[in-house]
Amino acid sequence: MKDLMRIKCLISQDIETLLNQQIKKEAHSSSLYLSMASWCNQNGYDFSADYFTKQSEEERMHQLKLFKYVLDMGGNAISPEVTGIKTDFAGFREVFEDALEAEIAITQSFKNLASRCHKEMDFVTMEFLNWFLKEQREEEYKARRALELFEVIGEEGTGRWEIDKHVNKITYSED
Amino acid sequence: MEKACIDINELVNVFSNTHGSVYQSDKLNCFYVDFGGKFARFNCISLQKIKKVVEQIDIEALLLNTKRADFELVSFNGCEHIYLLNALEIVALKDLLQGAFTMFKLNHLINDCLFRLVY
Ligand SMILES: [Fe+2]
Ligand SMILES: [Fe+2]
Repeated sequence: MKDLMRIKCLISQDIETLLNQQIKKEAHSSSLYLSMASWCNQNGYDFSADYFTKQSEEERMHQLKLFKYVLDMGGNAISPEVTGIKTDFAGFREVFEDALEAEIAITQSFKNLASRCHKEMDFVTMEFLNWFLKEQREEEYKARRALELFEVIGEEGTGRWEIDKHVNKITYSED
Repeated sequence: MEKACIDINELVNVFSNTHGSVYQSDKLNCFYVDFGGKFARFNCISLQKIKKVVEQIDIEALLLNTKRADFELVSFNGCEHIYLLNALEIVALKDLLQGAFTMFKLNHLINDCLFRLVY
């Protein structure tokens, strides 16, 4: 008997399901960052608003990258429904706390995917995921550094104004 | 008619239960589901879709709902076939499709080991 399902598609159904869940998570991240940008803008934190808008675009790019991979491998990529995006934040600091928490969740999600790839010996998808695993280093680093500004600069006086100015200057280099 | 189709197209029985069977045609690269008085043709994608639809039916809710009969339409957009099934038949179809997909997985492993890993 021919292996028809395999002829049609390189990745297994389980991996396809996990990748589709990841597509949804990236879409969620993108919307969340946009929501943070809106809050920052309305509260006068212009630089942070720009920072989160850029992050939102990046997450959209991640979503499309995963989407293309699923389709290229012969799978069914599902355009996700995104609901329940937080729109109200208690304060400037909470926005950054949420951003770091979201990135940590994404890292964990990629670890799960990688672990599934190892279990199935799907080294093709594993190799594809490496890009994202590396990207998460930068994503978490930036979110963590931004949050640390609240400790280093402090929120008193013109502190928040100062923090806002510095957020955009955070960069990550591997060496 | 069904018997003829099975013979002419040299269909392989993938999985059967008391309610029906799933066949594969290596000639036409497609599947046939013999269930509920229908002998229906599916391709890879539509078979996966119908399985998903069946799996998403909440059978418990169907049985507990006293305001309506336990019948459910099983189909999806663009599907050539529609099944009108009661709860027991839904369970049987779910079992049939899951059994078939387990056999696909097994067949995949066998193909990998026997034919693809020969050096
Ligand atoms: Fe991302
Ligand atoms: Fe991210």
